[in-house]
Amino acid sequence: MNREGSSLEMHHIRYFLAVGETLNLTRAAERCNVAQPALTRAIKALETELGGELLRRERALSHLTELGQRMLPMLRQCYDTALAAKMVAASIRKGEAAPLSVAVSHTVALGRFTPTLQELSRALPGLQLKLHRGSGSEVAEYLRLGTAELAIAGPLGEPWSRLDSLPLFEEPFGLVVSPTHRLAGRDTAEFKDLASETLLINTRCEMIGELRACLEANGILETAAHQVATQEDLLALVKADLGVAIIPVGAMETNGLNRIPIKQLNLVRRVSVYTVAGRRRAIACSALFNMLRAADWGFNTGAKQQARACR
Amino acid sequence: MTEPKLTDKLEDSFARCRALDAPLADRLQAFADELRRLVPSFAAAVDTLVSRLAESNAGATAPKVGEPMPAFLLPDEQGRLVRLEDFLGKGPVALAFNRGHWCPYCRININALARAEEEIAAEHRHIAAIVPDRQKFAMWLKSDAKAPFPVLMDMDNGYAMTLGLAIYVGDELKHMMVTSGWDPSVSQGTDDWMLPIPATFIIGTDGIVRARFVDPDYRMRMAIEDMLAALRSAT
Repeated sequence: MNREGSSLEMHHIRYFLAVGETLNLTRAAERCNVAQPALTRAIKALETELGGELLRRERALSHLTELGQRMLPMLRQCYDTALAAKMVAASIRKGEAAPLSVAVSHTVALGRFTPTLQELSRALPGLQLKLHRGSGSEVAEYLRLGTAELAIAGPLGEPWSRLDSLPLFEEPFGLVVSPTHRLAGRDTAEFKDLASETLLINTRCEMIGELRACLEANGILETAAHQVATQEDLLALVKADLGVAIIPVGAMETNGLNRIPIKQLNLVRRVSVYTVAGRRRAIACSALFNMLRAADWGFNTGAKQQARACR
Repeated sequence: MTEPKLTDKLEDSFARCRALDAPLADRLQAFADELRRLVPSFAAAVDTLVSRLAESNAGATAPKVGEPMPAFLLPDEQGRLVRLEDFLGKGPVALAFNRGHWCPYCRININALARAEEEIAAEHRHIAAIVPDRQKFAMWLKSDAKAPFPVLMDMDNGYAMTLGLAIYVGDELKHMMVTSGWDPSVSQGTDDWMLPIPATFIIGTDGIVRARFVDPDYRMRMAIEDMLAALRSAT
């Protein structure tokens, strides 16, 4: 018998993903347009590749084993990335238009990503960028509807199982004040310093729930607060001294505002890149995804180090 | 005090093996022997994986001599996007898939490639390494090996998988690697535990594979003399 290689073969993974979704070998085979024995052989081969059983068969239904459940999301991500690499190979020579639609949460500063976009546009002169901005739920909606192929945002809190995410970096929350504010220039601040301050709250920040819980736990009441709906407005009002704000400090460009770490505040947010499982990534999206994944964002360096750096 | 990790204990042996004035195969073998002497159980687990892979012909479906090498667009260690065509416009290229900055065999291999690059740079022949590591680690690997050539980053082994070169490490070896101090999940930025089978492809300016070396035993790499000969005869 001509044995197949035990390196991970893409069509084996594709068949397994179909079984994972349908939990039925007949329907999975139909979906993949193959005969069921061929699908069964491929699953067996994948089991050799991974070194364990993936399925338990019970009459018509199949169940995933513990290994099968563990491997499914990982194989799905790898398969999508490999499929994207294949698309690159097919389309790279044509030099045609390279449309790319990205959604970025309005709490994420674009400045951090402009060098990446610059390089992307150098390498793909046909790049046609569509940049969407929105709150966490709007960003999730852009992905769901296919308006955006890729998104960069804080935690989206979406239970949608097709949403794939990989972490880029973490950034601590800190206090921002105008340069003329009485706290400006301080090395650190404490919650008691904020007792007499008016707080500016961005109600559409991805981590508003966590922030509110943290404020409440530290005796800061929201009764003395202004509410805004975009990060841009929040920063404008901080600058105009209408109040102070607690935001992810990587979320702002250094436009003259003062950043001050707050003692006792351990709130950190993780910014991730999001894609939708099973959606085809065009060449620009695939390249951007790889660049974002590969770049050194300082992930794993911990919030402490970053808090020092932003002083 | 925590017990020093195997990787720390091995650093001296590693440095000695890498510095050997000997063919690449001997330097790799010297390190493999040292590892086997120090931790026979680890070497045995590696043998099991390698024989499983070899038995089932892993990597056999990768592009063969006479076949076209699929195009890619990958960031290099500086974050610049590079195409296969960019190399081919300058001359034949050797593409060397490696496992990562943490792998001692890859560090020896890339160091040997760096020495070879000096010989052929003037002849319009080039080398590029490909690893599934993130930027910081790809940069480290490049400077550790004193490599003048780019180290391309194939995140999540996407390109390697299209070539049939991606493998899953498996639970047993994964556990042993972590306790020994070899943990690719940090440099890969994912907990997939997938690695490429180390492989070297020599590609002519027409994009056709002129020579290849694929061995699921990651302790084996293409001999530098073979690579140079193939690069020199390629057009």
